[in-house]
Amino acid sequence: MLSVRKNEDVCFELRDMNFSEITGENQPLKGKQEADKKNVAVLSGTSKQYKTGDTTITALQPSDVVFRENELTLVIGPSGSGKTTLLSLAGCVIYPTSGDVWVKGQHVNTLNPDELARLRLYNIGFVFQNFNLIAPLTALENVMQPLRMMKIPVKEARKKAQEALEMVQMGDRMKSLPKQLSGGQQQRVAIARALVGNPSLILCDEPTAALDAKSVSIVMHELKSLAKDGKSVAVVTHDTRLKQFADRIIYVHNGYVSETPPDEEIFN
Amino acid sequence: MIATAYKFIRYDKPKSIGVVIGIIISTFLIGQQVGILTFLTTLMGGLVSNSDTGKADIWITDKITINANELAKIDGSVAREVRSIEGVESAYPIVVTPAVASFSNGKTAPVTIIGSEAPGFVAGPLKDKIIKGSLADLLDDFAVSADFYDASTLTNSTDVGTELEINGKRAIIKVQTKDARGFGGSFFYTTLSRARFYGNFPDDKVSAVAVKVKEGYPVEKVRDEINSLLPLVNAWKTEDLKSSTVRFIVISSNIGSSIGSLVIFAIISGFFIIGLTLYSSAMDRVKDYGTLKAIGATNGYITRLIIVQSLIFAVTGFILAWMLLEGFRAGVKNAGLIINISPLLLGGLFMITFLISVGSALFFSVRTINSVEPASVFRN
Ligand SMILES: Nc1ncnc2c1ncn2[C@@H]1O[C@H](COP(=O)(O)OP(=O)(O)OP(=O)(O)O)[C@@H](O)[C@H]1O
Ligand SMILES: [Mg+2]
Repeated sequence: MLSVRKNEDVCFELRDMNFSEITGENQPLKGKQEADKKNVAVLSGTSKQYKTGDTTITALQPSDVVFRENELTLVIGPSGSGKTTLLSLAGCVIYPTSGDVWVKGQHVNTLNPDELARLRLYNIGFVFQNFNLIAPLTALENVMQPLRMMKIPVKEARKKAQEALEMVQMGDRMKSLPKQLSGGQQQRVAIARALVGNPSLILCDEPTAALDAKSVSIVMHELKSLAKDGKSVAVVTHDTRLKQFADRIIYVHNGYVSETPPDEEIFN
Repeated sequence: MIATAYKFIRYDKPKSIGVVIGIIISTFLIGQQVGILTFLTTLMGGLVSNSDTGKADIWITDKITINANELAKIDGSVAREVRSIEGVESAYPIVVTPAVASFSNGKTAPVTIIGSEAPGFVAGPLKDKIIKGSLADLLDDFAVSADFYDASTLTNSTDVGTELEINGKRAIIKVQTKDARGFGGSFFYTTLSRARFYGNFPDDKVSAVAVKVKEGYPVEKVRDEINSLLPLVNAWKTEDLKSSTVRFIVISSNIGSSIGSLVIFAIISGFFIIGLTLYSSAMDRVKDYGTLKAIGATNGYITRLIIVQSLIFAVTGFILAWMLLEGFRAGVKNAGLIINISPLLLGGLFMITFLISVGSALFFSVRTINSVEPASVFRN
């Protein structure tokens, strides 16, 4: 991870230099980030490559993407197109190969893994396809976990977690272990865990893929209402039926990102 | 953190029980072996440590012995000569002689007769080790002492009043001691003259001379003085004779190396058994650790979570092993095996338990879990 970053740093320096020479600005990206406070996450010329052996896979071509407050952004694309990669970059769990990532005004490229963890803890909520609740912990303890990692006292953390669980209609199953809950119920607990720390960005990777139709509707309505409350919510899916919940749709195809469906692009 | 760690442990009961049992077995084994070794060393040095150390600052032995249980005869005049050396307050001749005891039931046993002058009985028995009779009773005709714990080895009772023959001569147990024992032979204490009588020990010889140093004189200096003035004998600080004896037996009998290798084996196997079980249960939870990282846990947090789990294992395993050791101690006590679970032994055991479980957690689990990438949670 470290050696990769060093190479990237060299990359950024060169790239930034060219950029400022052309535009004449000192910190063009910082300016862009601060110009629009509604931009919770900004990907600017961001690409990601994976090296396995001597083959290099470009999971994401250099792309410009923003995730804004008050918006539920749907990220749609076929399997292997780079959706999760895009989400991982915005979610600060991986470093870009080139380009920059800004989250809540912080330049992700320059942060070390511990600083990234902190950034995630305080600013980003995650919802996963397979729920990813901590198996040994009850629903309540799962939701308390981010708060406890923020060093919030147990009592206060418990109260907040209870409120979050009640918000997702899971107030009556707080003592249950994840394995005692249905998929839909687990996902609601996961949403409670994602929102309990009051993050600005909620990133969901295929949150409905493992759910039945009724649970899909419940989960999506909850995510939608979070966006209404001011959060930036991004939902990765290849289920086009979720389009009805979207404020904005981003299409990912073969690592390329666009705001128009790929076939339309080809058509045009 | 502790609550979370505890829940991780409780969630995987079979493996957690496996880890605790692993810790109990290695800790108990180490404690038991070290306890037995400590007990044996007290027996090895028994001849010296059962003497009245208030009076015996220095022991004078023959020139070559380094083992108090193998004293050669020295000239009886040494006791007189040493009294004239500056700094010597008094000198007490001691006779130690092997003998054969035979009992009314026909059983015989090798014993060690230890004689010193009445009424001081500098060679022993110590007052606080006497459970029946008194030192004065050793002045009675045929009187010897015998130890409570030797009853079974002597295949007879060692109670006061028991009659026996020592080297074919009549003797009566008048004093019963408890835990005044040596390594590999029962101690019968008696007067100096009676020890000579039973052991056919020449009147002009003694086995050793105990020396009390005058107050204000450094023991080392008096010892050196004796050694330079009496070149045919060897003067020891009492403590040095004891440790020399223990060292000699521990090495020559291979007790040290056999118990030592057992302890090392227990540490190594504990390290691997516990480490690999911890590793396997950590790997079962790898998805959970990955999720924790994704939602914002640092590697430091994950490391602490794993270390706290291993600490809980260490403390639980240690307490259970301690209880087991106490049970073992109580169980073998009646047989005369006196295991002393000292604070030092407990402290050392806890350190070893701690090192085994925390060390193996660091070595096996933490390294692997720390290398789990937070992004991995998206790929399952
Ligand atoms: N850690 C990795 N190492 C190597 N290649 C990877 C890695 N992660 C993703 N890829 C590759 O990058 C490409 C994009 O993967 P990504 O997971 O972003 O796709 P996706 O759109 O989320 O697909 P899906 O809908 O199946 O989840 C794929 O070809 C994938 O094999
Ligand atoms: Mg994906």
